[in-house]
Amino acid sequence: MISNVTEISKDQLLSEAQKMSGQGYRFVTASCVDLGEDKLNVIYHFDKNTELTNFRIAVKRGEEVPSISATYLCAVLVENEMKELFGLNVTNIAIDYGGHFLLTPEALKNPQSKITIVQKGDN
Amino acid sequence: MNNKTTIPFGPQHPVLPEPLHLKLVMEDEKVVEATPAIGYVHRGLEKLAEVKDFNQNVFLVERICGICSVMHAQCYVQGIEAMMNIEIPERAKYLRVIWAELHRIHSHMLWLGLLADAFGFESLFMQCWRDREKIMDIMEETAGARVVISINAVGGTRRDLTSEQMAKIVRVVDEIAADMKVLEGALLNDYTVKHRLVGIGTLTKEEAYALGAVGPMARASGVAQDLRTMGYAAYKDLDFQMVVEKDGDSWARTAVRFKEVLECIRLIKAAISKIPAGAEYCVPVKGNPTGEVISRVEQPRGEVLYYIKGNGTKNLDRLRVRTPTFANIPTLLKMIPGSHLADVPVLLLTIDPCISCTER
Repeated sequence: MISNVTEISKDQLLSEAQKMSGQGYRFVTASCVDLGEDKLNVIYHFDKNTELTNFRIAVKRGEEVPSISATYLCAVLVENEMKELFGLNVTNIAIDYGGHFLLTPEALKNPQSKITIVQKGDN
Repeated sequence: MNNKTTIPFGPQHPVLPEPLHLKLVMEDEKVVEATPAIGYVHRGLEKLAEVKDFNQNVFLVERICGICSVMHAQCYVQGIEAMMNIEIPERAKYLRVIWAELHRIHSHMLWLGLLADAFGFESLFMQCWRDREKIMDIMEETAGARVVISINAVGGTRRDLTSEQMAKIVRVVDEIAADMKVLEGALLNDYTVKHRLVGIGTLTKEEAYALGAVGPMARASGVAQDLRTMGYAAYKDLDFQMVVEKDGDSWARTAVRFKEVLECIRLIKAAISKIPAGAEYCVPVKGNPTGEVISRVEQPRGEVLYYIKGNGTKNLDRLRVRTPTFANIPTLLKMIPGSHLADVPVLLLTIDPCISCTER
């Protein structure tokens, strides 16, 4: 139901971001979706004249995803957020908070990832 | 000799109603580097939304932020309605605009007061909040609560407005419009106020766009960007006029919010004059949302984006919210370096920071 979404590989991400910047698109945000079984989708949203253009990448948790902050500095906050809340391994973020943008050292890791309840024993 | 000093600004500071931290690297009184940090009050509401049903989430998203609560709910229900192909009554579209613009007035008047307080103009602060109070009274009278008024529902609105209530709203917003003429002299034209705002924290049009600024932050720098031009709800019928300034400084950001109050008043009166008659303001909803949708509306602080993913059950797979303050924080990286320490509180306020939204 999302219109104007293109599936790309993570290797195409930087070149697509540069194209968007060159064409005068504003970076709106990125949305991370945990699909379970360590599969993550990230949708990058760009806007020009109130029209949204979206790119979706599919990665495994822990797999490296390049940061687009060299092209769009404003992406630093959401990239740090996705890194901490979902365990998305974003590399080369222009300002990397080192895992302490939102979380404290004692906090649960990846707190917004899918919760799986495993029954142990007969009870 | 290296005479740089690092000063922690916030999270507890008299000018900050909510906790935001800035690491300021100073050379004497001048800021040379500023790094923002958040994370003091993160609530994990996006995760909580996955265990509430999609109707309960209306009340949840309203609590992301009190000041923009109507628009949070509006953005969410518009998304769910798009997923479920629900056509809401025309009257509900106008009701949503009326309550949303009342909320925008109360948000902007709150901010104008806080700004006056930040540069030490206490009586101006109280005058702005006196007018804001009139809006709060309308909220209470029409919805039963002052801040989180819960009028949006999937399928329309939870309440209607009577003709007497609408007549009173017109009377009150006319009073506020008259008061704004008096406030204009102090907020936009007073010598000492201009001294604190003109030329302070200038953000060019190119910088604002590149840093992803939204709302009054972007419009004050000449970026003509307001989602109300998309014509959602009843805006398409109300001849919405966007307020844009060119200077990009703290004065321009004040002017945009000030003038937007007057545009809100015009929109409210236009919506009340054109609202379709009829008793229907909400339609019944059957089934559960499925698929993905992106919904956006213009909040007082700018664009809010909701990404919603449903799975055909009453629970959502994902509810993602990007709030306007989250988009405006990067502008601090550009605005604050080069400024004096005494201007940092004013600069910080001019992005109208809502940490409650940011740390949803």
